[in-house]
This record gives sequence, structure tokens and C-alpha cells, in this order.
Amino acid sequence: MVFYGWSTIYSVFLWRKGFRRDDWVNYLLLVCGVALHTLAMTKRGLTLQSCPVNNLYEATTFLLWALGLACLVYSLLPRFKFLCAFTSPVLFTVGVFALMPSLDPPHGPQPEFSGALRSLHAATILQSYGAFGLAAVAAGMFLMQRHDLKAHKLRAMLSLLPSIQRLELITFRLVAAGFVLLTIGLAAGSQLPRPEGKPYFSDAKVIWSALLWLVYLEALVAYKFFGRPSRRFALGIIIAFVFLLLTFWITNLYSGLHN
Amino acid sequence: MSVVVIGLSHRSAPVELRERFAFAGEKIPDALRTLREKLASEAVILSTCNRVEIYAVTPLAPEAAFAELKQFLVQHHAYDGALGDEVYAFAEPQSLHHLFKVASGLDSMVIGETEIFGQLKDAYELAFTHQHTGARLNKAFQRAFNVAKHIRTATNIQRGSVSVMSAAVELAEKIFNSLAEHEVLVIGAGETSEKTARALLSRGARGVVVTNRSPERAAALAADLGGRAVPFAQWPDEFALIDIAISSTAAPQPILDRATLEPLMKRRRHRPLLLIDIAVPRDIDPAVSELDNVYLYNVDDLQSIADDYLNLRREEVARCEKIIADKVAVLLAANKFSIPAGRTDPAC
Repeated sequence: MVFYGWSTIYSVFLWRKGFRRDDWVNYLLLVCGVALHTLAMTKRGLTLQSCPVNNLYEATTFLLWALGLACLVYSLLPRFKFLCAFTSPVLFTVGVFALMPSLDPPHGPQPEFSGALRSLHAATILQSYGAFGLAAVAAGMFLMQRHDLKAHKLRAMLSLLPSIQRLELITFRLVAAGFVLLTIGLAAGSQLPRPEGKPYFSDAKVIWSALLWLVYLEALVAYKFFGRPSRRFALGIIIAFVFLLLTFWITNLYSGLHN
Repeated sequence: MSVVVIGLSHRSAPVELRERFAFAGEKIPDALRTLREKLASEAVILSTCNRVEIYAVTPLAPEAAFAELKQFLVQHHAYDGALGDEVYAFAEPQSLHHLFKVASGLDSMVIGETEIFGQLKDAYELAFTHQHTGARLNKAFQRAFNVAKHIRTATNIQRGSVSVMSAAVELAEKIFNSLAEHEVLVIGAGETSEKTARALLSRGARGVVVTNRSPERAAALAADLGGRAVPFAQWPDEFALIDIAISSTAAPQPILDRATLEPLMKRRRHRPLLLIDIAVPRDIDPAVSELDNVYLYNVDDLQSIADDYLNLRREEVARCEKIIADKVAVLLAANKFSIPAGRTDPAC
């Protein structure tokens, strides 16, 4: 979290300087953060003998890990180094929130629910959230660069951000990847045993997940097949992810199946 | 013996005088030979449209060397007028400082331009090939080329576009992933639009479509640019295919407004469209920029980008001067320039 914090502070300076130089410092800060994050999750996973996605704290840190890792991979693309500057504030703020003790209640040496299918269900869904998060970050970069170009700001020319067409493409691809992962995760979840006489669609988290799936499906279809303008698509992706972040914990708390 | 320089440039002399003292390329070897026979052990002549300079290594004291070199210039060009401040002359260390500045484009009319680097390199290689350079000038010029490269990478002196055409190209690269996938429409076959289209093609644009009120002019320009011509009445139909439009007609009213472009954007499925309006009065109604995915720049916007870049370059000059001062000091400190004689590869 300290590295994510440093990266966030450094990002503020990059922002103020207008992203003029290809920057490795922020990338290396995030590499350190993600490496330590990976180590912590591995230790926890080994202790529990299962994928560490068993409570809200673990789920949130897994989501952030997926987001951070995806950011590091995408940042290797030409001119995408500044993705880190847009991602680290998300990693830091959500990460600090995840540290709240109530999100990580003590449990026994093994979580009550385990198994490969459950791990697949939770891991793919959280990875999809990571992809949606990175898509929202790319969409934010798109909107900023688009605004600067429309407003004829010199910053648009001086910054080393990718072209807006490329940002748009990356946003779409990330949403598509996230949607596929979400679909796999939900399909895996539907195969899990459930309490007798309890239909899936009476559970708050299942309804919320289905709603999320529909929202992203609508965004993809409207953009790809019905010519939704790029700005509306990007805004929609950001709003969807903010909605995801704000409601993820609440629906988990109200879900009988997930508690 | 030390390196001295004498010359005239756009800073000191008007073009009428500079052209009187310009050396024709084929006559430079002879001029260098004369110089070496009379007063210098090594010499390089740089002659471009913006400057004429002689770099020489001479056993004479600087003041005597300046007088002799000035006399050489006057006699070689049979100049009978008076020469005053138009001619500048420097001895070490200012001569090296000047050489490094010239190589880095700091003394150019457009600060930071790179053409002078190539011209200086050609001048040096010509002298080197004809064996008119020795250890001192070889070392000085090679160091100058290295310093210029260092300045190019370590500072923003060459960053950005300082002309309307190059600003338009840079803008296109900020919007589109690769110009190779995009076609350019030229509306009105003016000189600036032609140059801009050429610049876009040179950066890989897929093709060009030309339209003009005079079909013959459109066909001629299209043939020249390797594109195709379309009748003026049909240019809106091309909007489904092209992604960059450059407009420079002499129309008194806008030829493209929001009401016309809106349905065309739907046909384009809202693909990004870059509109470059270099006509005065303007060809494109500014209201079109309110449409999503439409990026409209007029000639003032492009000029403003070029000016901003130029100001940024000016802000970098102090950093470059500092680098040059350090490098000159290092060069002079290195055994006071007493390098063993011998040929050095000019390619650095």
C-alpha cells in the first residue's frame, strides 16, 4: 500500500507536468507494489490452502491485484506507461478502504467454503472487475485526451499519451475481456451447490451480478453494432465501474449466498 | 594553433549579402585548397542559405587570422563593398562554442531545426574527403555532432512542430492509431493544403482524394500526389471513406456546416474525423466541432501550436547553452586539444 501511495503522489506530479516524458519511475513503483501484493496474497493463499477470495477484504485485494497486474502488462505497450499514473490512485484509495478490519473477519484455519469451482468462480469474476477497472482507467485517459484535443490545448500535443483511437480500442478490448471473464465466472457460480429451496435470483449479489453483466453487454453491443459515440461509451464504462466499486461491498453484505 | 571561425549568418547579414558570399558546392574543394595554401593548416567551409562560415586551424594570432580570412572571403567572391558587423569572427573557446551551437540548431532561424546538422556534416565530410581537415577540426566537429545528438535526446529543443504543416501531421498522429489506415481529402488545391497533404502522405497516410472547383487543377494535383480526383459537387460523398479533410477553398461562405456534417458522421459510424481548415475566410463552420469525434483546427489553431512549440524551444535554449559550455570546457581541458594527428572516421 505504501508503494501504491508513493505512486499516487508521483502521479500527481506527472499529471501537473502534462505527461511529457516516457516515465519508468511510476511503473517501477507499481512493480514493487504489485510484487509485494502478490507475495502477501500467495502467503495468505498457502495458509488457507485455497485461492484467497473468501471474504470482502480478500476479494477486494484480489480485485486490486488483478487491476495492478493488468496495468503493468498493458503499460508495456508503446506510450501506455502513463496508464500507471491513472491506475495507482484507484489502487491506493480502494486498497486503503479494503484495510478496514470489519472487511476481514477472523475465520478458522480453512474457509467454510472452498473447492476448485468456487475458486474459479470468485477468481474469474474478480479478474473481470480488474479488467473493467483498467478499461475505466483507459476510458478516463481517452476522455482527458479527447477534451484537450477538442479544446486545442497544447497539453494534448505535448503529452506522450497514446492516440485517442488507440485508447478507445484498448478500452473496448478490456471491456470485452472483462465481459468474457465475468460470463465464465457467473457460469461457474451457477454450477455451485446452493441452499435447498433458495433460487439464485432471490440473492442480492446474484441480481447485482446479472445487472452488471447486462450493463456491460449493452455497452459492448451498443458500441460495436449500433455506433454508440466514443465519448458516451467511455463515460458509460467509467460510470459502470464506479457503480461496481460503490455497490460491490453492499451487495456482498446483503447476499445470503456470499456470506 | 587554434580553431577560429569567420562568417555571415541570418543573424548578422541580409540575404542579399549572404548570397554574395555563398560558396557553390563544386567550388568548395578549390576554396579549401587555397585557404590551406595561404593561411590555414585545416579548414571546413559551411555554406547554406542561412549562413556562410569558414572554420580554420591557423598558426596566426586570432586577430591576424580574422583579417586574413576576411580578406580571403572578399577576394574569393570579388566583393567590392564595405563589410562591417555583418561578418563575425570567433577564436577559441567561442569558436568551439559557436560550432556546437550551430550543430545543435541553436543558431538557426528556426531554433532546434535539424537540417543544419546534416548540412554541417556534409561540409565536414567534403573537407575530410579532400584531406583538408586534421586532428583539431576532426576532434572539434565530431564532438560537435555528439553534443548535438546529446542535446536532441536530453532536452526538448527539437520537440514539436514549428510549422503549420507539421503541426497538422502531429495532430493527426494524436488522433489516429496509424496514418496508414486513413485517407486524406483535400478540398481546394491550394499550396498549403498541398504541402500538408504531402506531409501526411510522407508520414504514411493511405492515400489522398483531391477536389477542386477546377477539375483540371484537381486532376493535376491528384496525379502529382498519387491520389484520385473527384468532382467538387461530390466531395461530401467521400466523407464515408476519408478520416482527414484539409480545406482551403476561396469560398466566401463556409462550405461545411453542422447540418451537413451531422448525417455524414452517422454514415461514418462516428469514426474520428480531423478537419483542417486553412482557408481565410474559413471553409468550415466552427459549430461542427461540437459534434462528437470531430476535431476541427483552423490555420490560427495550427499556427498557435507551432508558436507554442517555438516558445518551448526558446525556454530550452538556456539548458542547451549550459550543456554546450560544459562540453567545450571538457574538450579544451582534454590536453589542450593536442590530439595526435591522424584520420578519424567522420561518421559518428
